[in-house]
This record gives sequence, structure tokens and C-alpha cells, in this order.
Amino acid sequence: MAFVRLRSGQRAENEGDRVIPRDRWRWLRATCSRIFRRKKHEAALDAELQFHLQQLIAEYRAEGLSERDAQLFAQREFGAVAAYREEIRDSWRPPELADLWRTFRFAAGSLARTPGFTLLAIVALGFGVGGNTVMFSGFNSIVLKPLPYPNAAQLDSIDRATPQNPKGRVSPADFLDLQRESQTYGQIAAYMPSDATLSEPGHMAEVASGLRISPNFFATLAVQPRLGRDFRPDENLPGKDRLVILSERYWQKRFGGDPDVVGRIIRIDGEPHQIIGVLAASFNDWRHLGWVNLFRPIAFDHQQTRDRHSTILRLIGRRADNVSRSAAENFIANFGARLAKDFPEINAGTAWHAVPLAESIQGKSARSMLGMLIALSGFVLLIACSNLANLLLARTISRAREFAVRSALGASRMQLLRPVVTELLLLAVAGGLFALVVARWGADWLSVRSTGENGERLVLAFDWRVFGWAAGAALVTAIVFGLAPALFALRLNVNDTLKSGARGMTGGSGHRRFRQLLIVGQFALAMILLAGAAICIRGVDELNHRRAGWDSERLVTGTIILPARYSHPAKITAFHRLIIQRLESVPGIASASVSSFTPFFNWSDTRKYFIQGRDIPRPGHEPTAVVNTVSLRYFETVGTRLLAGRLFDDADMAGSPKTFIVSQSMASALFPNENPIGHHLAQAGGTDLQWGEIVGVVADVQSVLPDPGPVTFQLYQPMAQEPRTYNELAVRTGEAPAAMIDTIRNVMMELDPDLPVRQLQTADATIDRANYQLAVLRDMLSAFAVLGLGLASLGIYGVIARIMAQRTNEFAIRMALGACIRDITRIVLISGVKLALLGSVLGLIGAIAVGRILVARNPAMQLNSLPVLVATTLLLIVIALVACWLPARRASQLSPAEALRAE
Amino acid sequence: MDKGRKELLQGTLDLLILRTLSGASLHGWDIAKRIAVVSKDRLSLKQGSLYPALHRLEGRGWIEAEWGVSDAGRAAKFYRLTKRGRKELNAEKEQWLSFASAVASVLKMKEIE
Repeated sequence: MAFVRLRSGQRAENEGDRVIPRDRWRWLRATCSRIFRRKKHEAALDAELQFHLQQLIAEYRAEGLSERDAQLFAQREFGAVAAYREEIRDSWRPPELADLWRTFRFAAGSLARTPGFTLLAIVALGFGVGGNTVMFSGFNSIVLKPLPYPNAAQLDSIDRATPQNPKGRVSPADFLDLQRESQTYGQIAAYMPSDATLSEPGHMAEVASGLRISPNFFATLAVQPRLGRDFRPDENLPGKDRLVILSERYWQKRFGGDPDVVGRIIRIDGEPHQIIGVLAASFNDWRHLGWVNLFRPIAFDHQQTRDRHSTILRLIGRRADNVSRSAAENFIANFGARLAKDFPEINAGTAWHAVPLAESIQGKSARSMLGMLIALSGFVLLIACSNLANLLLARTISRAREFAVRSALGASRMQLLRPVVTELLLLAVAGGLFALVVARWGADWLSVRSTGENGERLVLAFDWRVFGWAAGAALVTAIVFGLAPALFALRLNVNDTLKSGARGMTGGSGHRRFRQLLIVGQFALAMILLAGAAICIRGVDELNHRRAGWDSERLVTGTIILPARYSHPAKITAFHRLIIQRLESVPGIASASVSSFTPFFNWSDTRKYFIQGRDIPRPGHEPTAVVNTVSLRYFETVGTRLLAGRLFDDADMAGSPKTFIVSQSMASALFPNENPIGHHLAQAGGTDLQWGEIVGVVADVQSVLPDPGPVTFQLYQPMAQEPRTYNELAVRTGEAPAAMIDTIRNVMMELDPDLPVRQLQTADATIDRANYQLAVLRDMLSAFAVLGLGLASLGIYGVIARIMAQRTNEFAIRMALGACIRDITRIVLISGVKLALLGSVLGLIGAIAVGRILVARNPAMQLNSLPVLVATTLLLIVIALVACWLPARRASQLSPAEALRAE
Repeated sequence: MDKGRKELLQGTLDLLILRTLSGASLHGWDIAKRIAVVSKDRLSLKQGSLYPALHRLEGRGWIEAEWGVSDAGRAAKFYRLTKRGRKELNAEKEQWLSFASAVASVLKMKEIE
């Protein structure tokens, strides 16, 4: 009598809107307990039914039946309990939930019946989505996460772009001028790298990364120390600057997080400094100054405040609230233009820019790099997904008959799709969970691998954005790639499917094309991944093994920074001589030297020169060279060959005429048709030109860093004529360089116990470490490539095997008609390889694009991609051949008679 | 099935249970018995439909249950009407009676010549 029952809407009308709270509450509680306390309810149901049965028995007994008969009759009347028990259970759940529950249980059961498929799908989804999620969490923590400063959007990096360097530095006088005028802009602060030697009784002396900052630096960033105080405005005067603020990381590492550290006196560069503060942990953010451990004020003496030549400062600014970005840019640009007009000999060709700090840190290339990585990890995901689609297509086709029967019986499209969608949802959830595990693992690996020299590390935060990304990616890919084949199957004609017989679907031409498309796509993507990885592997390998112009064999290098008591030039020179003398007297050491730079890294000392006897070029067009200031024995030690003239010797002293040695490329560019030896150069820009003679020409050396900077001319000057406190120590050992490291350290300790040698290790080890970020990139690309290639070969294997199975009949007939096994194998192989080849060719286009991005980011990397691309294509085809050959081999086991009989 | 007993019309089961519970709180066995007695054995309730119906009504919040002790001294689950159940009963009863009388009038109508 269903038609009598009122629909719930009408019932609600009758009831009115009156809610009976207590009733409702009790009902809700009962419902919840029914859903969640299942066991108790099962027991209660048992008791209830048992009671009924006992009553029944009692009744029969009262009617005079024997005990046995009463029980028998009662049981019979009671009926099959299990049959309505499930109906009762359903009433415990709200009706929609009961329905959903059944659907999911059904889907889970059907997945569990095909464990191979399920596992493969979950693993493919997990790795695909997981890799992608790691990349996204990188993007999230580098680009999306704001810098750890309040109102970070107001912060600018203020750069003085020179023809050589778009992010050039600024002189003290320029900075002070700008600061005086900065009311119309906001606040401007300056900083410069200045590593420091820390030596305290009871501790081994060590070098700490440091910055010299203007006292308003932290105020500009709007950062307060977590302990102690900030610098005061007058603490930039010489004599008042013996103060230091520690980073949180260094406070923990070196001072054990001692809360009473403020006020302590420590010895930095041999001078007592007072610790006045400790920064917050958020300042350790690796993206901006996170590598710095010590902050000291910059103190300018009277002479420095007028110095416009020494471009040593970097500037940072905070725009006032009412200053727009464009107004700020104009203000800074105008200031730069005025400087270029007032002091053209220094500033010709320069331009000042205010760039938002976040942009300046990330840079365009970092963004494009991250974009590329996300895209590449997306390709792995796509390959995984198209595999999934292939698997699901096969699964759906094997269900096509069921679909056809059900739709013939009147099932709607929705009803047919419901189990498919439910299965996909389950797969997506399982795959997504697995992906999170993979992502977590990947992020940890990345974090450990990318930890820098000072312990600053990339922390990949797992916030809601990352979870959202993983969940979204898993859901979208599973549903889209799963539903597509199902919809495809639905388009099949019911009649045709039912007529096509018990063998199930052989897959019409439409299916075949869909699958071939998937395979071509997979190989195209795999090609991009593989080529990208191969190019990167080769490039990094080439960089790490580049030893152009010097010799790394048995070379040990380290860094020393002479403390302030070596301030007098003569003292420095004497100490340098002592170092070389003592080290060279040690048996097993062939030669030793100090220099301002190592031959294998970039030289950051860029200077402009005039050539004697030629016209003075227009300002900004002087020949520019990077300068290495080297001690005696430098060239012998690092192994840079002398090509003409002589090396520096004892005569090139502080008071004697200046001398230079130039690199081959500088010599041939500046003196194309004449002997460079004997020509005179002078550094441009000074008040009086000091001419020096070119006494020698040496081979060019090449940096192993991916971005060596635009200046290719190299110039050497004698250390004795311009003594430096920052020194790169180089030691050429006899045998076993690693064993000599301790000896070298001991010698240096004896010379000065307060002088630590930083990174004293073989040059090869230093170089390996230097390009670790590239190595991380290389490893990531390799992982993507291996994953993508594996998935793609699995895909092609599966498809060829299926085609083989479907064409068994055809092959049997062919063989019965006289074709031999080789012919069959050839047919199978060719059909597979054609697809792989087509995919690889399409992928080449993408691979070339990946190569372009890598080159843009790392101009010095040798990314000669043609042989790599050819090799990659060949490798892919070989893999495709193997993947096709395995199922094709089955053709040889084909017995025509049996195969035909099976039909 | 005995000759005198009638199969329950679909959908009337809930109404019967609600009506039976409107006077007192009863356990399943008593509900079945009472319906049988009042209908003079013409309506019979099988356990297979009674218990699912009871749990369904409980799930809807029209009746609620409590464990108590039966006349024979055994633990039994007693059902009782809630306020919502009573309202439901009244509404359904109206519907049913008006429907039944309507059907009766049609069946008893005199032919109109």
C-alpha cells in the first residue's frame, strides 16, 4: 500500500516546523551508537530475537507439545534469521549511508578480486602523484610561502646594475647619500658578507659566516631579536662596533641555546665582541640570508664615508606605506641616473633598480626551473595515468558484455557507471595516501640533500596546500583517466557487443586507436624525461670533471681569513711568506700558495683597465677583467701553465713597480697582433693611474660553477703588492693528498692557533660539494626518468601482450597457411616499435625545450644535446623492442590447431 | 498460512505497530500477540517483518526502546512511542481511515442507472 503512505515532504508539512529537541537528541545519540557501536548492537539484536524464540517455544509447550517438538516447531516458524538480519542492520544506518556502504563494499570486493590490477594502479598513482606532490611542496615553500618578515611585500632589493652584473653592489658614499634622501621612499639598509673567525678558550677556532650590517638593518626587515636587543643607530662608528647578534641556529649549535648568552664577550677575529642579541628561528629561512650566523655593524671611518669606488654593499629597502611600487622604482632609478651624471668615471653605464625582494631572491630562472620540475613530475604522473587508463580500459572491456546486458535490461548510464566510479574513488584514496607517503619520503630526502654548508636547509612544509594538491591530483587523475575508458565502453552498441560472442571484446578499431594513442603519448613523455635527465647528468658530470687550465690531482685547498691583528700590509705579506715556507718544508708537500680565489670557482673581483698608449675609452666601455691576487708559487701549485713571459717572483714586492699576468684570451683579445709582454695596464677609476707591466701570459682557467659570470678576461696581480686577509690556501702534495690534510692543519695551527682553516679538503671534494644543488636536480630528473621509463615500458608490454592475445586466432590461421614464427614475431615487433618510434620523435620536441631551459639557467654547462638525444632515442627503442619481444615470443609457442580449436 | 488470517497490506505494518504501542510499552512478542488477538487472528505478524519494522521505526525516531524484564522474568526489549511517533500515528491513522472509508464508499455504491 505504498501509494497510501505519505511522502516525507507531506509528512514534514503535517509535523510543522516544531522541533522537539530532547526527542531529537535522544534519537541522534541512538543512531550514532547504532552506527559506531556495532558489536553491542549485534549482541542486543541476538538477545531480542532469542527472547522471541523462547516465547514461541514456551507457547508451543503450553499447547502440549514435547520439549523437542516445541523447539523444532518454533525454529521452523521463526524462519531463516540471517535473511532478515541484514535488513535490520540496514535500518540501523541512515538509508543513504546503507546504500553507499553496500556500493563501497561491492567495489572493494571487486578490487580485491583483482589484486594485481589494484596494486599496480595504486603504485602507479602513488608514485606519480607523490613525485608531483614533492615538486609542488618545493614550489609551495619557495615561491608561495611569504618571506619571514612582516609586510614582506614592502621590501625591495636595491641593485646597481652594471654592464657586467645586473645585481651589482654599491659604494659606502652612495649608500649614505641615498639614505639621506630616503624620506620620500622609506627605510634603506646596507649589508655586506664578512665571514668571521671565532676563537674562544676551550673551543677550536672556527670560521662562521657573517654579515656586516647597517644598524637599521633589522628594523628595515621589521625583525626583532628573540633575546637581547637590536643595534643602536650610533653603533656604526669605529670603536663602538664590537658587538654581535647571533642567528638562532648558531646560538643552538655553538652556545647550546644558553639563555644567558646575551652580554657574553666572545673573541671574533681576535677582538673581544659582546653578544647583544639572538635572532628568531624564522630568520634561518634559507631563501634570504638564512646562511648567516653572525651579524656585526658596519663601521665607516671618515675616509670610507666618502669612498665611491669600493662597491661592497648590498642594499635593502622598505617602502613607506604611502609609497607605491612605481614611485619607489622611479625614486631609485632617478638617484642612479644622478650618480651616473655626477660621477661618470665610476657610474657610466650603470642603472639603479628597486626590485621586490621576493622576486629578486627567486629570480626568473628559479621560477622557470621549478615550473619545469613540476611539469616533468607531471609527465611521470601522466605516464602513470595513461597506464591506469589502459588497465581500466581492459577491465571495462572485459565488462562490456555485463554492461550491455544490464543496459539492455534498462539500467541507466548512472547505474552502470556507479560501481566504476566507486572503484575509482577507492583507488584514488588509496593512491593518494600512498602518494603522501612517497611525497613525505621524497621531501625528507630533498631536505637532507639540499642542506647547505652552514646547516641552512630547505624545509618542505606539509601544509594544507600540499595535502590539497595531492588529494586533488589523485582524485582528478583517477576519475578522468578511469572514466574515459568507461564512457568509451558505454558508447558501444549493445547489439554488436552481445553478438560478438563469448570471447568478449577484441576491442574495435576505436579502442585500438585509443590505446595506441596512449602508448605514443607515454613514449613521448618518457623521451622528454629521459632526455632531460641525460642532458642534466652529462652537464653536471662535465662541470664536476672540468679541470680547464689547472690540475686537480693531489691538490688540497682551504680558506683562511686573517684576523684584524694582521691589518698591516707588511704583516700580512710576512705571514704569507711564512705559510708557504713552512708548508713547503714538510716532506710530502710539493708546493703551497695563497690567493684571493681558487682557480676552479668564480672570481668575484671585477675591475676595469686602461691600456697605456691607447685612447681612453668612453666610461663604461673599458676592458673588464676578473682579478685573482696570488702569492708566489701560485701557478706552480695549482698547475696553471705559463705560455709566455715570466711568473711573479721575489722582485714583485710592495714597493716595486706593479706587475700583471694576463690570461691567454685576454692577451689575444687586447693585443691581437702584438706581443702583450711589456705592455702596461692601469686600473680605471682611481684618482691617479698606477701603471703596471704585463710580465706573463698564462692559460685560461674555467670555473666549474654552472654560471661563471659574463667576464672572460682573467688577470693576476702579486699578493705582495695588494695583500689580502681573505686567502685561499692551495697545497700540492706528493702522494695521498687526503693523508696530508691533518699535517697541513697542524702546521697552520702551529703558525697561529687562532686561525682556523675552513674546508680543508682535496679540490675534487670541494668541487663535488659545490655543485650539490645541480646534483640534486640531476638526481631528481634521473628518478623521474627511471620512473617514467619503467611505467612506459610496462605500458607497452601490457598493450602488446593484449594485442597478441587478441590476435591469436589470426596468427594461428597465418601459421596454418604457412607463415613461420619469424613472420609472426616481426608483425608484433613492428606494431610496437612503430608506436615507440612515433612517441620518441614527438618527445624530441619537448626534450629540446627542456635542454633550452637548462641552458638558460646554467650557461656554463656543456649541454651538447644532439648525441644525448640520439642515444636516448635509441635506448627507448631498444626498451620498446624488449617489451614487445617478450609477448611476441609467445607466438612461437602457438600451436595453430589448438588455438583454432579453442575458438 | 491459516485460512482466516490475512496477509498484511504493504505499508500498514508501521501503522499497526504504532497503534499497538500507543497504549503501553511492549516487547516484540507482545506486539505480535496483541495484534493477533485484537484482529481476532485475522492479521498475523511474522518475525521476519516485525523486527525489521521495529528497528526501522526506531531508526526513524518514532519509537524508542529500553531493556526491561518480561512477565516471565526474562530480559526483553520494550518499545514505546515517542512524541514524533504519536504525531506520525495520528496523521497516518487519519489518512488510513479516510482512505478506507473512501474505498468502502466506492465499493458499496449503488449503480447509477
